[in-house]
Amino acid sequence: MSQISKLGYVDSKLGAPSSGQQTTRILFNTIEAPGTTSSLVFFTSFQGLTNGQTNLTANRLDSMESMVIKTIWLAQYTALGELRNFGEDSQQTLSIIVGNQQVVKDLPIQFNQGASGQAFDRLHENGGFSESVGISEQFIQTVMPMEIRLLTDIVIPPQVAFEVRVQSNNVAYGSGAAAVVCALSGYGKIFSAGNTF
Amino acid sequence: MALSAQDKIMYVANKLGLSTLKDMQGSTGAVYDVDTDISGVLFSNASRHQNPNITNLTQNEFEVNEALLIETISFYAYQGNTFDVLNFQAAYGSDAVIVYDLIIGNKRVMKDTPVFAAGSPYTFANTGQKLVPGFTDPASAFVPRHQTYLEGAGILIPPQVQFYIDFRVFNVRTGAVITPTDQNLIGCYLFGTRVLLNFNTSI
Repeated sequence: MSQISKLGYVDSKLGAPSSGQQTTRILFNTIEAPGTTSSLVFFTSFQGLTNGQTNLTANRLDSMESMVIKTIWLAQYTALGELRNFGEDSQQTLSIIVGNQQVVKDLPIQFNQGASGQAFDRLHENGGFSESVGISEQFIQTVMPMEIRLLTDIVIPPQVAFEVRVQSNNVAYGSGAAAVVCALSGYGKIFSAGNTF
Repeated sequence: MALSAQDKIMYVANKLGLSTLKDMQGSTGAVYDVDTDISGVLFSNASRHQNPNITNLTQNEFEVNEALLIETISFYAYQGNTFDVLNFQAAYGSDAVIVYDLIIGNKRVMKDTPVFAAGSPYTFANTGQKLVPGFTDPASAFVPRHQTYLEGAGILIPPQVQFYIDFRVFNVRTGAVITPTDQNLIGCYLFGTRVLLNFNTSI
């Protein structure tokens, strides 16, 4: 079933509107100064965040909007803006909860990044390499963000709360001006009256 | 893409009553522009920009029976005095993010979409860390791509309809707004399946 069909199928089951502008939707949320913790929960706190740190104001989509999650993206920044491997080298699991239902359960994410990378589903394509040897810093990026392509389309229906949980064992995600970011990327619909482009 | 590009173009063309679009030349194309005014708007001012240094458009709409089905939107940095194209991450640092809207006609078709300098969710383009055995430091730095791959269905810019992108640059850690400078202007490509005017007759 294509993602377009799946979104239409779930929306119709829920009685949600199926019209609207088809588009690509990327939701993101930042946790400032996450510190050392065993649990990160994204998309639950929006207080004090600017439009550069999240593009939602609540943990749900508007009444006429819905989306299919295709890709989960995670990044960890130091207080100096350097990108680090998410959770360093620690094993972590990720869950997505939509409404009262766990739709992704304890998915190990460490396989998909950094020096420990064991690619299960990636089709590799490098963005490019700079040949300069240097120590990682804000302008010299030596790692890439974590990105997981889902094999099953996960639907976020309109007006249903959702969150992303990352479980670990006391991992240092950074303090001070450090931050971690989660983005959910996929196909979606946004409110539109009239024809769709 | 679940729908083929051609199917999507025909679907929208039928909805808009563009009966002759199907007879035109299918192709691949990209349009680009740089926000030289630092106004946070791309493509609107393309008519005033040097070609091809800044843009490959003469106006921010396509002529009769020409269209573009956008399949990828990507951003880059641009040095105003040397006309050099730079990687967004190298110019702004890993913690920058562009948040943009795409507007076609009077309609917003992409909404608050982020492009992370660290490398966006760009679908099939992730990669591991490259290490040289015996050395602590990585041998080289990544130059990430900064693009939005349009999932499921591309977005069609129909003939003779104006389009533009509204964007802002932020620091994703602190939330602070970053104002581009003449040395670090922001540019954008819209890449996809193109429809070119073809008269199908001699003129």
